[in-house]
Amino acid sequence: MMRGHSRYGRIFVTYPLLVLISFIGLLPFYWMVACSFKTNENMFLMPLQWFPNPINWNAYGDAWKAQDFTRYFLNTTFIAVAITFGNLLLGSLAGYSLSKFRYFGRGVLFLLILSTMMLPLEVTMVPLFLIVKKFGWPNTYEGLIVPFVVDGFGVFLMRQYLKSIPNELIEAARIDGASELRIYWQIVMPLCKPALAALGVFTFREAWDMYIWPLIIVTKDSLRTLPLGISLFMSSFGTSWDQLMAVAAIGTLPMVLLFFFLQRSFIQGISISGLKN
Amino acid sequence: MSASGSTQSRSLRKLFRLNIAAKQALFAYAIILPTLAVIVIFRFLPMLQAFYISLHEYDLIRPPTFIGFRNFIDLVQDPLFLQSAWVSFIYVVFSCVPVWVLALALAVLFNREIRAKNFFRSATFMPVVMPAVVNAVVWTFMYHQDGVVNTILAWFGIDPIPWLRSSKWALWAVILIGIWRATPYYMVIFLAGLQAIPQRYYEAAQIDGASSWNQFRHITLPLLKPTTLLVMVMSVIVALKVFAVPLIMTGGGPADATRVLPLFIYQTAFEFFKMGRAAAMSVFLFAAVMIFTIFQIRLFSRGED
Repeated sequence: MMRGHSRYGRIFVTYPLLVLISFIGLLPFYWMVACSFKTNENMFLMPLQWFPNPINWNAYGDAWKAQDFTRYFLNTTFIAVAITFGNLLLGSLAGYSLSKFRYFGRGVLFLLILSTMMLPLEVTMVPLFLIVKKFGWPNTYEGLIVPFVVDGFGVFLMRQYLKSIPNELIEAARIDGASELRIYWQIVMPLCKPALAALGVFTFREAWDMYIWPLIIVTKDSLRTLPLGISLFMSSFGTSWDQLMAVAAIGTLPMVLLFFFLQRSFIQGISISGLKN
Repeated sequence: MSASGSTQSRSLRKLFRLNIAAKQALFAYAIILPTLAVIVIFRFLPMLQAFYISLHEYDLIRPPTFIGFRNFIDLVQDPLFLQSAWVSFIYVVFSCVPVWVLALALAVLFNREIRAKNFFRSATFMPVVMPAVVNAVVWTFMYHQDGVVNTILAWFGIDPIPWLRSSKWALWAVILIGIWRATPYYMVIFLAGLQAIPQRYYEAAQIDGASSWNQFRHITLPLLKPTTLLVMVMSVIVALKVFAVPLIMTGGGPADATRVLPLFIYQTAFEFFKMGRAAAMSVFLFAAVMIFTIFQIRLFSRGED
């Protein structure tokens, strides 16, 4: 009786609901790609065209030529990779220091780093800009990378993960005469792979998404990132929707690939961001 | 072995051990130093400097002049600032509350046995994958008067809505996108929380004949409380930071309807070059964020013990 009831509930409530939710989740992706292949005359045709007909193959090529998108794409890739590696290296080093060593001031340092974790860039953007300006870093890669090369979240995540690694492993290596740096690199780091993967994917996504900071410190075209390029393309005169959707689709593609190939780490990074322990 | 030799070797060993301890501490300091430098220079210092600049008038050209609390007094009398604070408030309330409910509901749904679970879960998760700027561009297109959103509404007999061109609708358009993108993110966090609840509680409840609603009400909700609080705090802070979507979609308009605080700070600083004024606004935003951060650190430390 109960079983039958819940089975009908599944067929008539749960699955239609799941289909609806999936539709809402996927619609903007589908619409972006579909419309990048529509001709501009058919863009707002009534009734709406759900499948592009005829197919317009030119949007991607034309958009890519309209602005230096190759450069923007490479800039974003370079910056995101640099920030990700910085976070993995410095975050794990700092996390290692905070979890496996005892020294004066450790608790205070941890609190200091933790307290900046939730500090939004939107609060500090004015002074941060002034500091970076003092360094002479507006319109440089340094200005785009160095302020974000490590972050409280990465340190926190690595510290929590490293705490679960038994001290005996490290002690044994010390007795064998391994240097501290070697212990970190050859014993501790390989054990952290899941945490590093989660942090790496999480950081890469955030760096790929970065918008407000490049907007503030970049004015030179050769340093524009993909998000800046896309928003500029949108506001520039004469841009057509098919081309804009084409550029948007290319800007999304690396994230979609990242999600499909590293799904576990992608999800883990997010669930860790909400973990209290 | 003589007694004196044994004490000598013991003190030598002690010295050696001390030396090792000092070496290890030195190593520990050395490897945290780069992180500390970045955090102090690019996070902590700017935070302190924000307060300093907020007491000055500064346009990037002439040297800053001290004007005391003038910026703050001007701000609370500035209708544009009050409007902006109000917009941020509305955005936070109406984008966060639905997200909490929807994210939890979806997490409960995906925590059950479902066929083709991976497909549905991935599809639901996709909004998180879309970059913020792309999000803004694509939704601007979808919110077009003759766009796909109005087309779908027309299936239900709803007249076309002038989403981004009307000061009445623009903020709701932005809020809907916020909900669309944030819900799956917090669903993942809720799912992690749900999976940490031991199955035996539910088994015991089932033996006692508790209905699924009662199980949810008396087992899931209480045990999920820490996760729920965390999601609440995180989502509010993230919502207070919203920037790219309103800037790209509406530029803060029409009629200031979507000018959230971060957007107003950005415009004041980098379009009107009133650094002091912008810093004073940051202090207000900081106060709002701080209330929630303190809340969160307390949560953290409670878990830490």
